[in-house]
Amino acid sequence: MSALLRIGALWRGRWPSLTLGAAVALASALVTVALMAAAGNRVATAVGAAGLAMAGGVMLRLLGAGRVVLRYLERLFTHDATFRALGDLRVWFFRGLAVRAAGGLGFRRAGDMLARLVNDIEALDALYLRIFIPLLGALVLLPLLVIVIGRRSLVLAAIEAGFFLSAALLLPWWTARGALRGGVRQAEAMAGLRVAALDALSGIREVRAFGAEGRMLALVQARQARLFAAQHAQALRLAYAGAGAFLAAAAALFAVLLATPLLGVASVLILFLTMAAFEAIAGLPRAGALAGHAAAAAARVLGAAEAVPALADPISPAAPPRGHALRFEAITFGWQPDRPAVFEGLTLDVPEGAHVAVLGPSGAGKSTLAALALKVAAPQAGRVLLGGVDIATLAAGELRQRIGWLGQTTHLFDDTIRANLLLARPAADEAALWAALDAARIAETVRALPDRLDTWVGEGGTRFSGGQGRRLALARALLSPAPLLILDEPCAGLDAATERAFLATLNDAAAGRSVLLITHRLTGVERLDRIWRLSGGKAVAAAG
Amino acid sequence: MSRPAPAAVWLKAEARIARRLAAPVAGLGLLDVALAAGQAGCVATILAGVFAPYGAENPSAAPAIWALAGFVLVALLRALARLQAETAASRAGIAGRRRLRDGVMARLLDAGPAVLRQHHSGEIASAAIDRVEAMEGFYARWLAARALAIAGPALIAAIAALVDPRAALGLVLAGLLVPLGMALAGIGAARAARQQFLAMTRLQARFLDRVRGIATIVLYGRSADEARGLAAAADELRRRTLRVLRVAFLSSTALDLAMVAALVGFALHYASDLTLGRLASPGRALFLLLLVPEFFAPLRAFAAAYQDRLQAHTSADALAGLPPSAPLAPEARPHEIRTIAASGVSVAFENVHFAWDAARGPALDGVSFRVAAGETLVLVGPSGAGKSTIIEMLLGFIRPDQGRVTINGADIASIVPGALNRLIAWIGQRPMLFAGSLAENIRFARPEASEAEIAEAARLARVDEFAALLPAGLATPVGEGGYGLSGGQAQRVAIARAYLRNAPLLLLDEPTAHLDPVTEAEVLDSLRRLALRRTVIVASHSAAAHALGGRRLDLRQGRVLAATARGAA
Repeated sequence: MSALLRIGALWRGRWPSLTLGAAVALASALVTVALMAAAGNRVATAVGAAGLAMAGGVMLRLLGAGRVVLRYLERLFTHDATFRALGDLRVWFFRGLAVRAAGGLGFRRAGDMLARLVNDIEALDALYLRIFIPLLGALVLLPLLVIVIGRRSLVLAAIEAGFFLSAALLLPWWTARGALRGGVRQAEAMAGLRVAALDALSGIREVRAFGAEGRMLALVQARQARLFAAQHAQALRLAYAGAGAFLAAAAALFAVLLATPLLGVASVLILFLTMAAFEAIAGLPRAGALAGHAAAAAARVLGAAEAVPALADPISPAAPPRGHALRFEAITFGWQPDRPAVFEGLTLDVPEGAHVAVLGPSGAGKSTLAALALKVAAPQAGRVLLGGVDIATLAAGELRQRIGWLGQTTHLFDDTIRANLLLARPAADEAALWAALDAARIAETVRALPDRLDTWVGEGGTRFSGGQGRRLALARALLSPAPLLILDEPCAGLDAATERAFLATLNDAAAGRSVLLITHRLTGVERLDRIWRLSGGKAVAAAG
Repeated sequence: MSRPAPAAVWLKAEARIARRLAAPVAGLGLLDVALAAGQAGCVATILAGVFAPYGAENPSAAPAIWALAGFVLVALLRALARLQAETAASRAGIAGRRRLRDGVMARLLDAGPAVLRQHHSGEIASAAIDRVEAMEGFYARWLAARALAIAGPALIAAIAALVDPRAALGLVLAGLLVPLGMALAGIGAARAARQQFLAMTRLQARFLDRVRGIATIVLYGRSADEARGLAAAADELRRRTLRVLRVAFLSSTALDLAMVAALVGFALHYASDLTLGRLASPGRALFLLLLVPEFFAPLRAFAAAYQDRLQAHTSADALAGLPPSAPLAPEARPHEIRTIAASGVSVAFENVHFAWDAARGPALDGVSFRVAAGETLVLVGPSGAGKSTIIEMLLGFIRPDQGRVTINGADIASIVPGALNRLIAWIGQRPMLFAGSLAENIRFARPEASEAEIAEAARLARVDEFAALLPAGLATPVGEGGYGLSGGQAQRVAIARAYLRNAPLLLLDEPTAHLDPVTEAEVLDSLRRLALRRTVIVASHSAAAHALGGRRLDLRQGRVLAATARGAA
């Protein structure tokens, strides 16, 4: 619940539009109820009071027109407010993630967690439109119901209020609680099914080669059955809540019907009013389930975006260094305390302007080296120096301006080639872009495309082959004015011929800059000043 | 005549199959509508009673007992009917999705690795999971709502006609106002709304794309600009969306307008009838007034379920594009072979031709070679030479367009898949680690294997060496959500699988392509021991693979260049 309140607080800036939407929605709810009551009343009064009736006709028409117009405006204003609020939430989430979790996300596998978070933000869509607005409506209709009925009978008013509250608050609360518990089960079942299906399909070669189709299908079916069971339990809970709300409304109407001798002609007005009021809150039990789901989602979203920053910038950062020699000094580091340390007393030099390779088998901590240099993680002991200055004393922004990074996880955005390149240097002109593409030996390919620099690269660069995509990413790294390039397995996923061509390109393209090439093996075409080999958590100088 | 889109055809077929499931939902819905009319009758009768002092027909002011009892009974029945309808809807949604997903998974597994040539595995998994889930509303709600949108109002109108034919006519006219109003609000509005929905999806995709690449953005120091860009894009989209919604909402307003018109019209008409004495009792008037919301309720449910249809349409686009069932239809197999003597296996290719895609030219262009039992053959050549095609053919994933592949002299096409599988162990470039423990991953090769056999396979493949360092040994979870293994460690798991499989024919497809030299040497050493007394075919462009020894077969663009004998290293 507190998570929902926090989300509400985030929307502070949108309160004018949210309030306007809520006000129109309230007016619309009131007019809807009034229209139904007035229609019943119109017929009732016609029986006893001939002559007076014609005046009421204008009122009825006004209410009718008002209801149509207000419903329209309600839809428009509440949707506008929702779009604004959700846009804000996404941007807020993005900023929070960028400040706090960026490095971790890039350096460790987390795609699944991200997808879940995005779904969670979507679950918050329902918060304003389907939970807040109807609940507000219920809170305004309740006193109206009590006042109108209470003028004739206080006992009946109390009974109606009881039924109303049970349908508007009690049942939604019950479904919200169920959804919180059932939601966890559903999410787990869903994740289990997803893993089984992804395993079976990504491992389709293994599955076919070992004749495991039947086993894998049976596993998917078993996981699916568990998901369906959890979903059906939730559907049943909602069905019971819906039936409960329906019975509460029926009981309220029955009480009015029993009291007709007492109420006289007014019973028509009261009956129609009661009917319309309960109609307005019929969706709340279902909304309660959404609220339970949204509360869990909100907690996860806040947790991800507000996690303690891994590395805070120093309060008064040191002056940026003039040189850019990189030195790791007696580094001890482990990602998690319960796993073995990655480095123990690692010392390694990248002199200014030198091309240096670091070799090591997978799991030796090659990518961790890049993470440490980029201040995505801090060593538990030892220092990383750039131009002789401990990077712990530098602002992360200042440091990263001086380092161009091309990692295994370097992402090509679903945008144009131009936009992807400009990420590295927004002010770069056309000539600089082509120069970078030339240096990365991809300019010919781009020139041959009908839209040239404005060609869309597709999601994750899928419109290009693996080698072309890596070259585009290299062009981007080369375009950055950084004097030091860190290339982390730049050839991952390339075939041998492409790999050699790519590395040959690099020799010339990065001339004049320091290069730290992190790789699991050399192809022989690299021109290197020094080679280090990682082993046992230390760096050992190899032939160079 | 334009041909209907495959997605539309698919959805129509799906609706036909699932109609049976939706029938109980629609039937219970119709029962609810009928009961609603009965309830309105009870209420109207009791309310009419209060006008007795004004000279209406009922002499007693007390509410009629039968009407009160009827109201309670009908209310209970309606609650029950609604409960049953929702339960049936949930069941229909489940049954529909189960049939769909089982079919999709079976088809994908049947189509085999060829599927991965056209689609990313994440993409097809998302089709099998998310797209199928998105069909829930289609089976559970949309099909029933569509049927009820006609039957429900028709039933109410028929009941109204029994009381007052003019009122029924009024309802029907107001009901017709709904589709008319929707049309007037702009037939294009619906299409524009759908396009807007797509634009919304694209914004969502953009957001996801930026979050996925967030490390790149942060390390280039661009997060503030990207956040501003996201905000601007969201605002621009909101403005454009609202411009469309302004028109699109008019169609829901048509529904509101029709209902209000009927309500106000009835109230005014019957009030004046009552005032002028043309109508003796207000009971009928109240009954018809109460029927108005019930007449429009199924139409509102229909409008609400429309988004289920839109979602189903998006799913249909993805699901209709998946491979059709059984692409490898078993042709006539004169002598189906169920078992093969497994003591020693020889393999022969006889003038084999194959093309993945006729436009791209042949992948195998008249390949012939022979591997004797217990011999090792190394396939050498650059990418695209046909090495992997040969391996895939031996695995039975593809069949020759021309020529024959034989195992112990029997045409591979005549060997039933189960028997072929028992002959072969395969190790690829990057072995797949399934979510589960290390031991379960080894057991994958032979589910009935005993613990001792698994431990023995782990020892032979030297999995036990690194397993000892893991938190729970062989019981350590690996794969999705588990402990990450290095490339060399994963390859050792694959070797352990092959040991456990203990098949006479070993197929190795670039088994050390992604390993560093030290690990490569270790893995090759294990493979050499695995290869003893087995027939082995290795595809490799790494010189180190020749350490396995054996004969070398050079391939270029689907042709055999030369076969050279080489001594074991």
